[in-house]
Amino acid sequence: MIDIYFVQQIINGLSIGLVYALIAIGFTLIFGVLNVVNFAHGEVYTIGAFAGLMLITWIAPPVLAIVLMVLAAGAFVGIGLERLAFRPFRRFRDEASLKSRAMREATLLSSLAVSITAREVMNLAFGSQMQTIPHAYLLQRPIVFGQLSITVGDLVIFVASALMLASLQFMLFRTRIGLSIRAVSNSPLGARYVGIDTDRAIVATFAIGSMLGAAAGILVGLYDGMITPQMGFAPGIKAFVAMVMGGLSSIPGAVICALILGVSESVATEFLASGWKDLVSYSFLIVTLVFFPQGLFGVGRERA
Amino acid sequence: MASAVSARKNVSGPTIPPAVLKAMLAIFLFIIVPVALSWIGGGYLFQVATTTLIFIILASSLNLVTGTAGLLSLGHAGFYGIGAYAAALLSTRLGLSFLATLPLAGVAAGAVGVLVALPTMRLVSIYFAVATLGIGEMIYVILLNWTGFTHGPMGIRGIPPIDLLGWQPGTPLFDYLVVAAVTALSLWAMSRLMHSYYGNALRAVREDDQCADAMGLNVVRLKIEAFGVSCFFAGIAGALFCHTAGFISPDQFRFAESINILAMVVVGGLGSLPGAVIGAALLIILPEALRSFGDFRMIAIGSIMFLSILLQPKGLLGEASALDLLRRQFGQGWSGNFATRVGWR
Repeated sequence: MIDIYFVQQIINGLSIGLVYALIAIGFTLIFGVLNVVNFAHGEVYTIGAFAGLMLITWIAPPVLAIVLMVLAAGAFVGIGLERLAFRPFRRFRDEASLKSRAMREATLLSSLAVSITAREVMNLAFGSQMQTIPHAYLLQRPIVFGQLSITVGDLVIFVASALMLASLQFMLFRTRIGLSIRAVSNSPLGARYVGIDTDRAIVATFAIGSMLGAAAGILVGLYDGMITPQMGFAPGIKAFVAMVMGGLSSIPGAVICALILGVSESVATEFLASGWKDLVSYSFLIVTLVFFPQGLFGVGRERA
Repeated sequence: MASAVSARKNVSGPTIPPAVLKAMLAIFLFIIVPVALSWIGGGYLFQVATTTLIFIILASSLNLVTGTAGLLSLGHAGFYGIGAYAAALLSTRLGLSFLATLPLAGVAAGAVGVLVALPTMRLVSIYFAVATLGIGEMIYVILLNWTGFTHGPMGIRGIPPIDLLGWQPGTPLFDYLVVAAVTALSLWAMSRLMHSYYGNALRAVREDDQCADAMGLNVVRLKIEAFGVSCFFAGIAGALFCHTAGFISPDQFRFAESINILAMVVVGGLGSLPGAVIGAALLIILPEALRSFGDFRMIAIGSIMFLSILLQPKGLLGEASALDLLRRQFGQGWSGNFATRVGWR
């Protein structure tokens, strides 16, 4: 019996981990092309959840339509975010300022400032209290396999994440825009030399990363049934941890580390009071940084 | 050399002697502000002034590590929290007086800072920022969940107010004056540190750590020391906060507060001590003044930070002009007679 419970925890952990993975991919893609961390990414996740809630209360479309519309909203938010917080700091294009620490820190801090402002505006608009998703939309119906019982939500998260990861791989390796994203993240200056429109690649990266983040937000909203304007903070940090553990620029690394984090958090609730479970991922972060400064799956990068 | 110094003095026009300038600042801090606040009347205004002073210590201590030494720290509120909890527990459990809890809180925060810095200080740039973010959150989780020791989310109530050798008037004016004195001392200590050869060494590490290493500076040791000193002052600020507020809970020391402090430093100008002071004063007083329009505090902080990065990336008072100001007007470091004014060598 205990084994079944354990398996159940692992399945829960995997679905949490997949959510972290979807967020972490956005972080990783954006870090790849711009070499800066986008601190506003957690807010994209929150906006995804709230966009879903608004759609449900206004139009009440079927679940699949909600997810597709939230994906569109996410892309829109990502493009707006790039315009607001990142584009103004890309005025200088010479090699020195591309590598300059001051420029990078300015971008990082501006995304931080935008994220605070966005979170607080949502706080004012929706109130800091929890909002509940209407019961009819919740994905909490259990599916029973023998002794094991998982919810529809777990299944939806598995399938949706697998679909999105597969289409991301297709997009990155089989399309022109994917090729230009990979070129820019390899070398921004080199990509410009060969005539790639780097601005377009960067905007596309933001759109794709934010689509995945917003999708994670609405999936969690439908799974848990409640959303708050602060909900993006903790998963954002976990995803960030996953990205760093995975080596900052490796997408498979980020996904694997996100799954490790999700499962270990879920299993840790067996041994610890649930308040302490956040400590698990932060300890993972510190241990990884101290013993594997390049991340578990990172390749040696040029010192920055 | 002498002619160059006098030429620079001529350009800047007649300067007020440093001693007079410092006396004027002291008069402003210890006489004009309290008198004016008593005139307008209100313990509330004294509370705002005290909070401003506490955040001035926090912002200038973060400025030491993020501005001068160039280590982006996203967990400063955690060390502020350690100072506050250390002082609160020492005074409520052991009954120690303010004069003992103040330095002990600083030492506790500084010691944790050094412990944290030892393994993480070899990390560069963004990795270090991530590590401090993680450590700040770890401190928060521990404060929140170690209920037997910290009372968890309930916080600690009934922390005794500031007392000096058993004398405990507990009035807002007295609190203000003590906090002002500690702030003045901390600012003096930090400005001396930043305007010595030691401060120059830290700036060299910030600009290019490999180059600084090649010049014979012990980069890792310098960074650890700077981080420890910065955490010490954050702990001092925490002790002041817990004794003046009388109540602390873990929520007051979370990531949002770290960002708040960082925003002060960025708005004022990274690396500039007067900038950190101006930034802290601006970001505490402005939202308080706007309070009647609704709770826009964090929105104001976010937008001020964004606009200042966009329009004034060097901050209100950038590092170069701040260094110039402090050296020339306050006689820190290199002004006047070169050989006698230089310390630490």
